[in-house]
Amino acid sequence: MRRVPILLLLVSVTLLSACRQAKVTSYRAPKETPDPLPPGLATASTNAASAPRPGTPAPPAPGSDMASTAVPTAEGSDLAWTAPAGWKPKAPGAMRKGSFTVPGPEGDADLSITAFPGDVGGELANLNRWRGQIQLAPLASGDLTTATTRLQQNGLSFVLVDFVSLSATKPARIVGAMVPVNGATWFFKLMGPDPTVSAAKPTFLTFLQTVRAPAAP
Amino acid sequence: MNDTVRQFRDFFVSLKLTVVLLVLSMGLVFAATLDQVNLGVWAVQAKYFHSFFVLWKIPGTDVPLPVYPGGYLLGGFLLVNLVSAHIYRFKRSWRKSGILLVHTGLMLLLVGEFLTGILQEEYQMALNEGQTKNYSESYRFNELVILDTTDPKFDDVVAVPEALLTTGSALQHPKLPFRVVTKEYYPNATLSLRRGATGENPSLATAGIGPQITATPQPLTYKQDERNWPVVFVELLGPEGTLGTWLLSPQLPAPQTFDYGGHSWRLALRAERAYKPFSLTLLKFTHDVYLGTDIPKNYSSRLRLTTPDGKEDREVLVYMNNPLRYAGLTFYQASFDPSNDHNTILQVVRNPGWLLPYLSCVMMTLGLVVQFGIHLLGFINKRRAVPATPA
Repeated sequence: MRRVPILLLLVSVTLLSACRQAKVTSYRAPKETPDPLPPGLATASTNAASAPRPGTPAPPAPGSDMASTAVPTAEGSDLAWTAPAGWKPKAPGAMRKGSFTVPGPEGDADLSITAFPGDVGGELANLNRWRGQIQLAPLASGDLTTATTRLQQNGLSFVLVDFVSLSATKPARIVGAMVPVNGATWFFKLMGPDPTVSAAKPTFLTFLQTVRAPAAP
Repeated sequence: MNDTVRQFRDFFVSLKLTVVLLVLSMGLVFAATLDQVNLGVWAVQAKYFHSFFVLWKIPGTDVPLPVYPGGYLLGGFLLVNLVSAHIYRFKRSWRKSGILLVHTGLMLLLVGEFLTGILQEEYQMALNEGQTKNYSESYRFNELVILDTTDPKFDDVVAVPEALLTTGSALQHPKLPFRVVTKEYYPNATLSLRRGATGENPSLATAGIGPQITATPQPLTYKQDERNWPVVFVELLGPEGTLGTWLLSPQLPAPQTFDYGGHSWRLALRAERAYKPFSLTLLKFTHDVYLGTDIPKNYSSRLRLTTPDGKEDREVLVYMNNPLRYAGLTFYQASFDPSNDHNTILQVVRNPGWLLPYLSCVMMTLGLVVQFGIHLLGFINKRRAVPATPA
């Protein structure tokens, strides 16, 4: 009986430890400052009273970078490629389908391979998102033809771009390709210091020739 | 003093309790050190030290059992034990003033650690050049947010912490004209595209982007350089019935939108946010490496700090070992995006108990000096008092 109060104390401490609970909060937040990156992902907008229907693109979450956020495709339907020997593979992590460091004269460049469902907002939105990443002004829809090169290889239709930002203190360049495959869009983006990306561009184009669609089941 | 109070007093004053608590603490540290291999530093801290009990889940169930006292319990009992000993057992005298100082410092250290454990906030703020933010984001915790975006000037936000999103849970909030039901919750999952192949299970999602995506649950990761990516299927139920089921994940880079009841709504599972009464704009990020290597030499962020009332509007420079301290928060230059030279990542820390460990160390050092000084003086006086013996 002497120990009853001590036991009671221990039990109350145990119960106290269960008291730290998360709570629902509500607040009024100022409208978020529009992200400098243009809209990218076409999420479906649904009128809840009716059946789901595709809708207008929603603004991206601030700080989000669609190119670095991948939705991996289903098993067996991934694109296949052969990377050049000089590129150092990195762990793709949860975000990318493939990831490489491309060494170069003025610092390393980064090659990312990502995939998203649908057309992800369309060509213009995606190219402008890439331009925003190196502080370039967005293109108008009329500029698409001159800014892109279209390429057919291995049964895939690539849209190639080459953007350079010379106004930045450290000139940056993006050489990228988009390719629609089975209802998804794949992005191959080489981004980094201008001298490195310029030097690696021929290798990048050769690399694209190795990209192949999954074999038909 | 009645019997019950005396029993409590005797229990807490006991030197045996001190010894038992110290042995248990050693056991805790030993087990936590070994478990660090499996869980990583942060999870070990949460499981062993920032808890009242170390919990163990019965295999095959979600039922947690307390199997060992945690850091808060051992530290709390040590504190009460020490305070009780000073009240009831130790005799106060000038000769023991050093010990009193050392013990007071130790008490402050225990209190400081407890305050740090329950009050410290650790978030991060990622900014692109030219971008302004008035919030920081957690890199461990997520929240389901439902925003009423109808008003052009502000958003009404209802935020539900991830911890409440257990499968089958339901929520009715006064600011929402519908009920939020968690149909399925995966603490970690990968997303993959649906191909419409035969044999694919139908998606739980009926609205938004979810029907196009399959979520595959994955084991939880505790690695330092990895994070868990939760996925939740949320159904919204209005008076007329279901509005749809959405798949939400922080991996989806954009929130999903819908209209209901004449209002525009936005849904997302995102990193938990902590809003500030001020804004930071990244003006310029500078990143230098040692020549011929990838080792960072120096990186710094030039920021503009502004408040809505206009009282603050100044530029600040944050670089390694030179954080910005403002409004009880400390902004450290923590990292940057290696693929983007125009992006900075600041660590945002609030720790109201940060001064206590310093104070306690000073007190303990002073206490030791005083105590050894008293003994030294006593020893010298004793030697002086002994008459010199003739050779």
